[in-house]
Amino acid sequence: MLLQILQDGLFAAIAAIGFAAISRPPKSAYLYCAIIAAVGHSARFLLMSPACGVNILGATAIAAFIVGLLSVWLAPKAKIPPETCLFPSLLPMIPGMYAYRAFGGLALCLTGSSEATFSHDFYLFASNGLTCLFILLVMVIGATIPIFLFRRRSFTATR
Amino acid sequence: MTGTIRNTIDCTTTVTTDCDSARHATSARSMCLFLAEYGVWLLGSGATCIRLEKNMKRIAASADMEVEITIMPRHLHLTVWSKNHRNIFTTVATVKNCPISFYVNSRLSTMSWEIADGRLSIADAYRQIDSMVKSDSQNPWILLLLVAIANAAFCRLFEGDFIAMGVVAVATASGYFMKINLLRHHVDVRVMMILCAFVSTVIGATDYLFSLGTTPMQAVGTSVLYLVPGIPFLNSFSDMLYRHYICAFSRFMDAVVLTGCLSIGLCLGMWLMRIGMF
Repeated sequence: MLLQILQDGLFAAIAAIGFAAISRPPKSAYLYCAIIAAVGHSARFLLMSPACGVNILGATAIAAFIVGLLSVWLAPKAKIPPETCLFPSLLPMIPGMYAYRAFGGLALCLTGSSEATFSHDFYLFASNGLTCLFILLVMVIGATIPIFLFRRRSFTATR
Repeated sequence: MTGTIRNTIDCTTTVTTDCDSARHATSARSMCLFLAEYGVWLLGSGATCIRLEKNMKRIAASADMEVEITIMPRHLHLTVWSKNHRNIFTTVATVKNCPISFYVNSRLSTMSWEIADGRLSIADAYRQIDSMVKSDSQNPWILLLLVAIANAAFCRLFEGDFIAMGVVAVATASGYFMKINLLRHHVDVRVMMILCAFVSTVIGATDYLFSLGTTPMQAVGTSVLYLVPGIPFLNSFSDMLYRHYICAFSRFMDAVVLTGCLSIGLCLGMWLMRIGMF
């Protein structure tokens, strides 16, 4: 289990560095993005494992809160706004598959011929779409709570 | 700077006679124009509305002034006034249409503190914005390599095997190569999303087509994930929490449209390769 958690953290760190590069962070932010993403994603992995059994929404909210806390704590050290390491660190948890599966379900709804097929396709659209939306919502709420709690530290990080 | 500011409305109609008021009149105008330039770059680089508000108010307060900002999806409307309310200046500026850059975002946030602490003048800050924007460049080939490796790692997070990771890396590199070239030729970003998703899906589907590994669906599913507009999604929900609903909705719709385009490319690729999504 420990090996799986470490492996999850390692690959999340690699993913965070690459995806962060698209949004051009300062060079000093890469290391923090990698560390924060590794801790956040492996926390979510642990929470969603059979041992803990937390569902994806709860696990994402808790992991995002951890990511938010770490970002607020580390941002002043790198002299960057917390969002600079917060948002790239959350990218590996973005529910991209749910997002495009929702669109896939919608496309199937439009091409379905019978009521039963339509109902099933609409279920795919709605379940994937709602899961995607609520994962995003709890992710941002979880990550923003530390910024609210430590408002002064968050907004003076670049001073 | 003048290129970004579409319209300026000088509201300093109360004619001032003493030297002190005249100084304020100049300051209100220059401060407002500077804040407009500052704001359009900060918002264009992907900052949240709350950061924009805080930074701009901090800069205005450093010169003993106040600023009110209306943040629209593509425009900023600012009014700056001196504390005695005798000099007011209003301007409207168009938000820069530039790629998301946390480098610019961070540098501009640092700049707001330097101005607030009296370590940087407005004139120097103007020059710094110019040089900062010019220096914000990336080697596209290094970026391509990083994104390809990142998406392969992402495939592993979805329990893809090493063959699937290799296929995803190739699919991502091909799609990203296409993205770089299409954007270089100023192709519409939505068309670019459809084409890149299509190419990545078709290449990602080779794992399925030739039975290369044991997790072909993970390869297909994750081959387009590098195109998901994650930062706009996060920004939109962050703006929503701070009650900037118009910007939140606008950013959300932008992200949804891009995800829709991605899905069109993905569906076309899967249809061509005879693969079902579910």
